[in-house]
Amino acid sequence: MPTKISIRGVSKTYNSDAGEVLALQGTDLEIQEGEFVSLVGPSGCGKSTLLYIVGGFLSASGEVQIDGRTVDGPGVDRGVVFQEYALFPWLTVQRNIEYGPRVRNLPARECGAIADRLIDVIGLRGFEHRYPRELSGGMKQRVAIARMLAGDPSILLLDEPFGALDAQTRETMQDELLRIWLEMRRTVLMVTHDVNEAVYLSNRICVMSARPGRIVEEFTVNLDRTGTREAIVLSDEYTRVRNQVWLSVRQQAATAVRT
Amino acid sequence: MAQSIVKVIINAIIRLLPIAIVLGIWQSVASLHWVDTAFLPAPVGIGRALGDLLSGHEIRDNLGVTLFRALAGLALAAVSGVWFGVGMARSWIFNAIASPLVGATYSLPKTAIVPLLILWFGIGSTMGILAVYLTCLLPIIVQTYHGVRATPAVVIWSAQSMGASARQILWQIFMPHALPDIFTGLRIALGFAFVVAISAEMIASTAGIGRLIFMYGENGSYDYMFAAVASIVIAAFLADRALLALSARCLRWHPSHAGTNLGATA
Amino acid sequence: MSAERAALPSPLKSYALSTLTVGVILIAWESAARAKLVPDLFLPSVSAVLVALRGGIADGSLPLDLGVSLYRAFAGLLLAAVVGVAAGIAMARSALTRWFLDPFISLAFPAPKIAFLPIFILWFGIDHMSKILLVAFSSVFPIVIATYSAAIAVNHLLIWSSLSLGSSRPTIMWRVILPACYPRIFAAFRVALPVALITAFTAEMVAGGGGMGATLMYAQRFFETPTVFAYIVTMLAVGLIFDKAMLVLRDRFPAWRESS
Repeated sequence: MPTKISIRGVSKTYNSDAGEVLALQGTDLEIQEGEFVSLVGPSGCGKSTLLYIVGGFLSASGEVQIDGRTVDGPGVDRGVVFQEYALFPWLTVQRNIEYGPRVRNLPARECGAIADRLIDVIGLRGFEHRYPRELSGGMKQRVAIARMLAGDPSILLLDEPFGALDAQTRETMQDELLRIWLEMRRTVLMVTHDVNEAVYLSNRICVMSARPGRIVEEFTVNLDRTGTREAIVLSDEYTRVRNQVWLSVRQQAATAVRT
Repeated sequence: MAQSIVKVIINAIIRLLPIAIVLGIWQSVASLHWVDTAFLPAPVGIGRALGDLLSGHEIRDNLGVTLFRALAGLALAAVSGVWFGVGMARSWIFNAIASPLVGATYSLPKTAIVPLLILWFGIGSTMGILAVYLTCLLPIIVQTYHGVRATPAVVIWSAQSMGASARQILWQIFMPHALPDIFTGLRIALGFAFVVAISAEMIASTAGIGRLIFMYGENGSYDYMFAAVASIVIAAFLADRALLALSARCLRWHPSHAGTNLGATA
Repeated sequence: MSAERAALPSPLKSYALSTLTVGVILIAWESAARAKLVPDLFLPSVSAVLVALRGGIADGSLPLDLGVSLYRAFAGLLLAAVVGVAAGIAMARSALTRWFLDPFISLAFPAPKIAFLPIFILWFGIDHMSKILLVAFSSVFPIVIATYSAAIAVNHLLIWSSLSLGSSRPTIMWRVILPACYPRIFAAFRVALPVALITAFTAEMVAGGGGMGATLMYAQRFFETPTVFAYIVTMLAVGLIFDKAMLVLRDRFPAWRESS
């Protein structure tokens, strides 16, 4: 299978008030098409930074390639969902979702049809003409996901998409995302601080070290995700992998505190 | 439907009652001759004068001149101010060059340039509009700049990842995001516009409500003077309300407006 | 090309360019004036303006005018402060007061207060009083509004804690409510100060009676352009200095800073 995302020797330095900060150092990662990869690690380890670099929002030294071509900036092949505040508040739900197709000059009817379909997929029929300010957090993230999918990207980049939601909403949204992914099978790179979430959703988990971050451990997750949430979460495999990952992240967090 | 109209009317009456009370006291004081009506004309007298002025040409001509100068200057300032604000927010070079000029006008008492403008352009509408323009430019530039710069990176990045060009991002992302701030700037600028237009007229002009007020004062027609003052106060109030209504319409989507939040269901 | 936000260069670079711009403008101005590209009447040379400035300071006319204007501006501002804070707090404490004052404030706030100058002159003449009162009238509204909104926002918990500790009501007023309002009142002052200055200058320009504005108009009428420029520059400098002074004050008294 072709390497979808190739990250080699990527380093990133920030200028902050406290001077130069090395966020990433010599990070390597290869992601195949159709994989669901999660990035986990202690706070500040640079996992979001790495995601932004793959998205083309930040520059970095090293090599990042998508389908063999070097990343040159943002692109329609990589859709993105952020943790919050990324919807266009001045557009209705429908218009938000239609944004991608419209910007690429697709005929109006087609834009409408795409949005229509996705509104049903995310289950917000009846809310098409509301503004984001009228929506709850969970609803907003659904719109964000739909908006991303409307552009039909081959890669989905998710930056702690459910981090701002309460626990129950988070679970519901995770099930939604899982359902959508099982159906569409795009390549997904997700950043999350929630280990449970990573194990529940992904088939590969990469643990990053504390700052300056690089990937230090990887876990493969072989779960049968066709069952109910209860079946998945209560399975032995889930518990085993979850404990391993959690321990690994804690170890990395401990090194951060020590330095 | 009828119920809510009745409610609105009753609310309006309650809100305006203090003014009615004060007018009542004022009228009584005047009628009882406790105060010389030369110094403080009775409301009835002012009302009569206002009626006179409105039925004649004075208010229409002069208030019209003032409004024209104020609103023309404001409109020009709005267009160029937004342009400057966006430019300064997007280009550090443009910002570095324009900042000292913008900063200078920040601390300058706005009407101080009027004598200079009179020297350069004489008295009349050109000077008036120019004075209003230069004054209104600042709040609009500052607010536009702030609104554009405050656009969250994640919003810009979302648009870029969907294929938006730089031009599309300017018009479809930066401008809408800055719109609430721009309206704030417009509201501030509207206040300035009236003050500067009238100041310029009072300082040196042959027309305008400012000139009219002064003229009546000099002639001793105090009824008419008060009436003219009342007319501009009302005009400014209505203009402000109109702007508020416009901004409410354009900013329906903004969270600051009492909005419904559709429940906790995800 | 990545989407990194319009990368801000070092502040030094920006500052240098700004200074360079100002320098270029001044040089261009001086050259244009010297080369008589524009008649002296319209654009005196920078040096002529400086001469007028120095002359005004030397013979005491400029300091005198400035003193008069500042006296009027600050007296009016002080009056506005006392009345404004009192009214704001009264409105916060008493619904009746709020109901009564609300329509007047709503009506007066957008109104151009300068239009009332002839009324004030009718009542108080063209010397100090009319101008001080006009300044007060112009500056009071931002202060009332800021005080009111700050007072009603004072955290109820603060008040209740004080009450349960046995504080008397005046104590709560002075020790709890008022200090909690400082940041917003201070911010209103920062807005009201330039308003006070503008109003004083403008009233003088319109009605005479001494002060910076009166002399400025006098100079304009007699086409003494260097003096016109000199006075405008002085007004600009005064505005800048006082704004900076307010910022310094705010840094020295943390209680006045808005906690974000």
